[in-house]
Amino acid sequence: MTAAVTRRDRADRLRLLAQPIAVVVLVGGVLAWAFSTDLDSIEAQSINASTLLSVTWDHLLISFAVTGLVLVVAVPLGVLLTRRWARRAAPVFLGIATIGQASPAIGVLVLFFLASGMEGMWAAVLPIAFYTLLPVLRNTVVGLQGVDPALVDAGRGIGMSSAAVLRRVELPLAVPMILAGLRTALVHAVGVATLAVFVNGGGLGLLIDTGYKLARVPVLVTGAVLAVGLALLVDWLGAVAETYLGPKGLR
Amino acid sequence: MSFWEFVADRWDRLLAESLLHLSAVVQCTLLAALIGVAIGLVVYRSPLGSAAATALTSAILTIPSFALLGLLIPVLGLGAPPTVVALVLYGLLPIVRNTIVGLGGVDAAVRDAARGVGMSRLGVLTRVELRLAWPAILTGMRVAAQMLMGIAAIAAYARGPGLGVEIFAGLTRAGSANATNQAIAGTLGVVVLALALDGVFALIGRYTIARGIRGQ
Repeated sequence: MTAAVTRRDRADRLRLLAQPIAVVVLVGGVLAWAFSTDLDSIEAQSINASTLLSVTWDHLLISFAVTGLVLVVAVPLGVLLTRRWARRAAPVFLGIATIGQASPAIGVLVLFFLASGMEGMWAAVLPIAFYTLLPVLRNTVVGLQGVDPALVDAGRGIGMSSAAVLRRVELPLAVPMILAGLRTALVHAVGVATLAVFVNGGGLGLLIDTGYKLARVPVLVTGAVLAVGLALLVDWLGAVAETYLGPKGLR
Repeated sequence: MSFWEFVADRWDRLLAESLLHLSAVVQCTLLAALIGVAIGLVVYRSPLGSAAATALTSAILTIPSFALLGLLIPVLGLGAPPTVVALVLYGLLPIVRNTIVGLGGVDAAVRDAARGVGMSRLGVLTRVELRLAWPAILTGMRVAAQMLMGIAAIAAYARGPGLGVEIFAGLTRAGSANATNQAIAGTLGVVVLALALDGVFALIGRYTIARGIRGQ
């Protein structure tokens, strides 16, 4: 067990170090290549600083809207499901969420689009949020359930209300698990956000789709590599946050 | 046309697409297992090697599948090749990680005992270590297969085979009579396949995990 833990620590540390370097090399290299090749007029419409910035910004906006929405829904839901009176409901919700997770992201996205008729950014954000809810919900529930009942009793024993126990004992102890779930959700969201283009939601998927449909390899490759770089970068930021945002006593 | 009428009407086609989807996922999971276990075997004794293999495969997993597919199209063209490469790459992480954890978790005393009774290095590996690590490896394959089910649906974008074809057809024909039915059929089909395959993996586990460590 300890051997497995140290091994994972080492892998995590390796990624903490190597990932930002890989992102800079990858993205820098591809941008340098894309801007230095002779672009025809169609390629130049996609590969210019303002377009690249705006699609990347759209992509980030979708990802963060998804993560915000998931945070606002999943954490309170997780707290509710771990209260004594709702414990029976937890497996039901987790079961539904697991089936949701087994469904293909593209299917959820397309079905939502067909059912609602919505287009644009929110048509992508809502289904992606539904799809990425599970890791945060599960980790919140597992994190809260993992709190030693003796600590909760001790909190109650020194006269804390149950709300105070939740806020000052249970939630802080569950923060590492919740953060880990949130990091998974955010990386998921950045990945699935590449599919937003199919519901006219923009983002880096737009470059991939344009490059593919118009057979312009530089556009396709630039979009794909930017998406890869963004995912690796967001994952790295999540890892850094996980390392520094947890309660000091648990580090 | 109601959804069930649609399914009855297109049953042959949907069945063929489901089988293609399933066979792509199963074959890519097996291929990923062969490669993943081989990687695990090479690195599990070296701490740095295990860390590097785990870090690299988990970095691959963060790559958006649509972006990876996009990158593979100029190199490999359309259809089966980019689909297979993408699915195998994504399948690697859980298998490599679980192989390393499983093999690393084998008690050193057990290994020594096996050498002590005169087993060769290869004998220890195939008859002791791999059998003890098998539950972990099988779990890795199970996780990989679940993940690949969803990713395979996106592969239809690169003309890959499977149920994703129905989903993308539903998208491009939005507004026409059967668009929603097609998208539902594709999505539900993937969910059903995923749950069924998960059940098969549970059965395989029941019959292949050594009796002595079952239920641990």
